[in-house]
Amino acid sequence: MAQQETMIAAATPAFAARYRRLLLGCLAVLLFFAAWQAVFLVVPFNPLFISKPSLIAAGYADLIESGDLFHDLAVSAVPFFVGLGAAVMIGVPLGILMGWRVRVGYALDPLMTIFYASPLVALAPLLVIFFGVGVSGKAIIVFSLSVFPFIFNAYAGVHAVDRLLINVVRSLGGGEWALYRKVILPSVLPYVVAGARIAVGRALIGVLVGEFFAASEGIGFAISRFGDLFAMDKMFACILTVMVIAVILTEGIRWAERAAFPWRAEQ
Amino acid sequence: MTGYIHARSVSLTFRPPNRAPVRALGGFDIDVEEGEFLSIVGPSGCGKSTFLNVLLGLTKPDGGEVMMHGKPIRGPGSDRAMVFQEFGLLPWRTVTHNIELGLELKKVPADKRRAVADRLVTLVGLSGFEHHYPHELSGGMKQRVGLARALATDPEVLLMDEPFAALDAQTRDLMQVELLRIWREAKKTVLFVTHQIDEAIYLSDRVVVMSKRPGRAKRIFAIKLPRPREYEMRVTPEFNDLKLEIWNTLKDEIVM
Repeated sequence: MAQQETMIAAATPAFAARYRRLLLGCLAVLLFFAAWQAVFLVVPFNPLFISKPSLIAAGYADLIESGDLFHDLAVSAVPFFVGLGAAVMIGVPLGILMGWRVRVGYALDPLMTIFYASPLVALAPLLVIFFGVGVSGKAIIVFSLSVFPFIFNAYAGVHAVDRLLINVVRSLGGGEWALYRKVILPSVLPYVVAGARIAVGRALIGVLVGEFFAASEGIGFAISRFGDLFAMDKMFACILTVMVIAVILTEGIRWAERAAFPWRAEQ
Repeated sequence: MTGYIHARSVSLTFRPPNRAPVRALGGFDIDVEEGEFLSIVGPSGCGKSTFLNVLLGLTKPDGGEVMMHGKPIRGPGSDRAMVFQEFGLLPWRTVTHNIELGLELKKVPADKRRAVADRLVTLVGLSGFEHHYPHELSGGMKQRVGLARALATDPEVLLMDEPFAALDAQTRDLMQVELLRIWREAKKTVLFVTHQIDEAIYLSDRVVVMSKRPGRAKRIFAIKLPRPREYEMRVTPEFNDLKLEIWNTLKDEIVM
């Protein structure tokens, strides 16, 4: 009898057991905010230097009601997507070329590694001077930060191409262009999408930094202005928004990876 | 003299960078007749696969000549197709799309490609698996796709490089039976490289035993067993006599 019950329990696990990963994750987030709120019951609270979840929520309500938040996000979205789009269009072909053409790879690998490793953010003020305070300056900052994950992941993807498949296509009469289209690009795509997860994070930093230096609107500008005004509630509201967007974008890519490559055997 | 496939003194030395050169083929001679099933057995590293790659046109020999229909082989051509030991299926393509690959590269229109693929799926016994991806198939099924892909461009010659070596013993036995059926129906010339003497005798009209590296044809055995071949023939005295004779020819070449 007891045995039968455990079997039934195993077949249809309770809600808590089935969603325990999600539940535990959400619980930790809630606890974090609760602790944040609670700590000021003990520690003295000064709204000029710090905020707490209850005030942030009120600040959120203000920003949403006035429409400022959406306006700033829409403004920031332009250089973000322009820069990221350019990073894909240039980074992926360049990485593939570096991987497939050995001499191009030998020549460019050290240079690209130097750029990737260097704190390009430090050049942001310079880029703003060169390319202006408009969309182009920020798009170039976004591009210069996010292009490298695409280059290096495409490069690594080419190295992982199965040589046998190259011979298969050659033996069936395929030329260089057919190799790119039928073997190399499909092999490299999963690597590129994995690179996109890293690139998105860097691109967000690029937008924020660009707007910190020179902007009159945008989410990065909003964060820095609210900071200058000691409006900590609104500043944190904007920061949290950026965090949520970062999580949505990277998780969205992770989900798209699983949906787009059904041929990848489940690991 | 110009036979169907005619290889004279084919030699090839690999020169890998920073390592000693390897003489893979050292004067390999063979004449293959049209429609024939010819197997090549030999010790590991004797250049069997290299010779198939030369025939396929992916590897250029440094000496000798390989002719087909009296014309030298200068590169891949649609009169030859290879079945690879490790299958070589594109993992992002379904069974049907893998079979269509060669036709796509020859710019055959989509409806014609589909018709050929449908016919071959039936021929190799994969009906119902048209839309499966390679990782969803067993080894034997993968090699059926490999075979169908090679047959899709309707080559005259099938080059098979240890095609069943990655399969378990029972699957391998079944695939041999299937291959003979397909060979009868499709009427191709087959060059079949294998390590297994049984397999070579059971399938072939002739078996070539190669020497150790640099590989040459040491001896050629004509297999006079009647066709169609039955599985039971593998336990007849003639079969075993042949097996022993081929083994005795081969064993001196094996370097441990």
